[in-house]
Amino acid sequence: MTPKIKNMLDYYVVRKEHHKFRQAPKDAYRYAGIYAEKGLGDLERSVCRLRDVLSEETPVVMPGESIAFLRTVVTLPEIFTEEEFSAISKEHYIHEQGKVCNISPDYRKLLTTGTEEKKKQILERMHDFEAAGEREKAACGKAMYDTLCIMEDFADRYRKEAETAGNAEAAELLRRVPRERPQSFQEALQFLRIIHYCLWCSFQYHNTLGRFDQYMYPFFEEDIRAGKLSKEEALELLEEFFICLNKDSDLYTGMQQGDNGQSMVLGGMNPDGTESYNELSDLCMQASLELKLIDPKINLRVNKKTPLSLYVRGTELTKEGLGFPQYSNDDIVIEALKNWGYEEKDAYGYAVAACWEFIIPGCGMDIPNLNGLSFPACVMEAVDKLEEMENFEALMEDVRRVIFVQAKALREGVHDIYMEPAPFMSVLMDGCVENGTDISMGNKYNNFGFHGTGIATAVDSLAAVRKYVFEEKTITKTELLEALRTNFEGRERMANMLRYEGPKMGNDDDETDEIAVRLLGWFADSMEGHVNERGGGYRAGTGSAMYYIWQSKDMPATPDGRKAGEEFAANYSPSLFTRLEGPFSIIRSFAKPDLARVANGGPLTIELTDSMFRNAESTEKTAQFVKTFIDLGGHQMQINAVNREKLLDAKKHPEKYKNLIVRVWGWSGYFVELDECYQDHIIKRMELAC
Amino acid sequence: MGAVTGTVFDIKQLAVFDGPGIRTTVFLKGCPLRCAWCHNPEGLTAQKQLMVSVGSCLQCGECKRACPGGDSCTACGSCILACPLHLRKICGVDYTDEALAEKLLRNRDILEKNGGGITFSGGEPTMQPLFLLAVLRRLRGIHRAIETCGYCESEMFKAILSELDYVLMDIKLADSVAHKKWTGKDNGLILQNLEILKESGIPFTVRIPVIPGVNDSDRNFEDTAGLLAGTRSLEKVELLPYHRTAGAKYSMVGREYRPAFPKDREPYINTGIFERYGISAGTI
Repeated sequence: MTPKIKNMLDYYVVRKEHHKFRQAPKDAYRYAGIYAEKGLGDLERSVCRLRDVLSEETPVVMPGESIAFLRTVVTLPEIFTEEEFSAISKEHYIHEQGKVCNISPDYRKLLTTGTEEKKKQILERMHDFEAAGEREKAACGKAMYDTLCIMEDFADRYRKEAETAGNAEAAELLRRVPRERPQSFQEALQFLRIIHYCLWCSFQYHNTLGRFDQYMYPFFEEDIRAGKLSKEEALELLEEFFICLNKDSDLYTGMQQGDNGQSMVLGGMNPDGTESYNELSDLCMQASLELKLIDPKINLRVNKKTPLSLYVRGTELTKEGLGFPQYSNDDIVIEALKNWGYEEKDAYGYAVAACWEFIIPGCGMDIPNLNGLSFPACVMEAVDKLEEMENFEALMEDVRRVIFVQAKALREGVHDIYMEPAPFMSVLMDGCVENGTDISMGNKYNNFGFHGTGIATAVDSLAAVRKYVFEEKTITKTELLEALRTNFEGRERMANMLRYEGPKMGNDDDETDEIAVRLLGWFADSMEGHVNERGGGYRAGTGSAMYYIWQSKDMPATPDGRKAGEEFAANYSPSLFTRLEGPFSIIRSFAKPDLARVANGGPLTIELTDSMFRNAESTEKTAQFVKTFIDLGGHQMQINAVNREKLLDAKKHPEKYKNLIVRVWGWSGYFVELDECYQDHIIKRMELAC
Repeated sequence: MGAVTGTVFDIKQLAVFDGPGIRTTVFLKGCPLRCAWCHNPEGLTAQKQLMVSVGSCLQCGECKRACPGGDSCTACGSCILACPLHLRKICGVDYTDEALAEKLLRNRDILEKNGGGITFSGGEPTMQPLFLLAVLRRLRGIHRAIETCGYCESEMFKAILSELDYVLMDIKLADSVAHKKWTGKDNGLILQNLEILKESGIPFTVRIPVIPGVNDSDRNFEDTAGLLAGTRSLEKVELLPYHRTAGAKYSMVGREYRPAFPKDREPYINTGIFERYGISAGTI
């Protein structure tokens, strides 16, 4: 790491001195009333918002920085008044905040043209639309055009500030960026920074970085080949860019600090079977390893043929305790996407959305995180009627029925989706310029995805009922139901037996794991063949997002000995309270289901004690373990290198652990910034670390 | 041959420090030595025993009510499920050689693909020699190792070596008097077995738990290096610096951890001496 980068880290990450440039929080509705008074439509309002936010911005250029742009406006404005939005909410389904989010823009759409060329393209199409009397399309074109003008003007203000601040390098960069196609790697990074910045200011959120190593490679390679840039210089630029991603990230929308969706995907199989991991991918790994920052969150695409050396590189990052890279298995994911109707070239180009939901850059307007099916809730609805069940298969049949009922309810819960228009984002998505459309209305892929929460709790519960009620008959149906209703009050012995001695998913026990195979298969079946209101299909998944807390909070005790309100495991993971046979058994159990059918996204999340990474040899062995999961057919994995004592101490003395990073559900964040329930859940996970 | 039964107190998958590749390590119960720094006190006795996490005990008395016996615990397990906090467990599971081998072989593909195998540790694995031999025979074809203190009747040691691909052997102290003082046994038999191991040609690692004030001296390192110099089948010497958490499990087996060495001092480490003898050495 160069001294310059070290200073920047200290300034922006440790001391956060740049916060002094921030303006005071403002009313989020400061413009909405004005827009309403003027009678502006939503598309116009979206353009106005970007213009108004950027006009509030004060350009800040630091001496010596090579990539500019800093947020000073803290509160992004809403485009609707509260009354307007509540009226819209009555008519429509609103996903999260009603904004386009959690997709992967195709940055090449601007990076390879510059705004001037892009504006020309838009104008041409606008004329066509106007000539054809297609006023709505022309309006979409105009909105996109306007956002580019707004971005240019803003860049000009930054250029002037750079001149004033005496940063000639930044001023020179901004003479061309963003108007022209970047002529160097540095220009491309500066351009990307501006685009990303403007996406956030447009109130798009979970703005992923996608396959950065692929779309930035031409710029990198050109400079290296021409001898204009050394690898060391490229690394320094890259590290500065990575730091940029951490400057304003606390201002971004998310469930928790750190949940900001700045995921970056590296490597991956090409359609011809070759590997796309390149020199730039490796520099990204190195930058992340040196900086140890929560952003960008690195995802590695791997497959059966991926050499161990790449897993070793990844494991070196894991060792730092960053909670990434997250691995996804091309062999499973590409097959899954093709089965869901994604074209081959798109399937091979997949990235991840904010956490782990698979999404196609530039053409995926999927909403992969609409809601979640709670497997334990399905099981409990069936278990409630246990006394009517003659045998275990009758119970299972009822679970299947409930899954279908619940899945239908989830699908039908989503109708007349409304999203605010996103003209700037539209510039970066396929066909919007050409067809005069806004991305909020959909794109090539419009699938809806549902998480599947608490699989291990559900499987363990059913396996326990089979064993104790139907096979060994050591617990009667009535007794069990009574125990569940009373949260095992006075039945501690039974609770302990179920909890600690019952069959568990993760022990490589075929009989138990077979239940998981069936449950996940039914979840896939229940979604298959249905068409959503946007013409897309439905994807079932194994992720949990924050549902592992939400859906467990009010869930009564379950037959696996889980007490009322106790959390489920996050994502696709073993239950929290049982020590299992070990990591081999866990990956075997979790690789058994047909994961290509439930590949909406959702990794096996595993905790390994940090002592496993003590030396190069043991780190390599840990990498072999990850490779083994992928080779067994696992779809996705994230690993935490943990030290429980450290976390317990960090809870007590947060001031000592400001930079302690942990993986939460699909993203890494600073431990001390998390709400307590998430902190405690992580500590519980660590107690079982292998 | 009829089934042989043995007692195992842990099976650890994904062991990364117990021999080549990624391994499963089986901990056999019972040890002939009583090292003052032992961090696996539950491995000392050969019998199954009760372990209790006393720190969180609510003193509710449920365990006592569930206990069928009188004053002495027979590790029957009646109290395990009675404890509302599940603070009790029985340490030690009996396996037949066949059952243990079957369980271990379930992950054969993973172990073999990753250049690994199975390691027997303890306690002291050679304390259950017939069981160990029977299981090792059933595991032929897969890479087999032991982690041993070397205190074993020499003919038996030879028989066990004949079933092994790799050995990790402790040489805790080169000096015989000090060895007796700190481990309870003289090291004559151990050094004799070291010679047998050297002659066998089986690749091996020597491990030295480095304990402050016990064996962390140049003199001990020098003497140990002297015992090993010129052995082609010796891959390396690993120094294992004493860890302060060593005493963590003593209260669980009803023992006190009060070693007579300065346990709060960092042990002195010197790998250079071994290097001078042409022995590759490192710490883990």
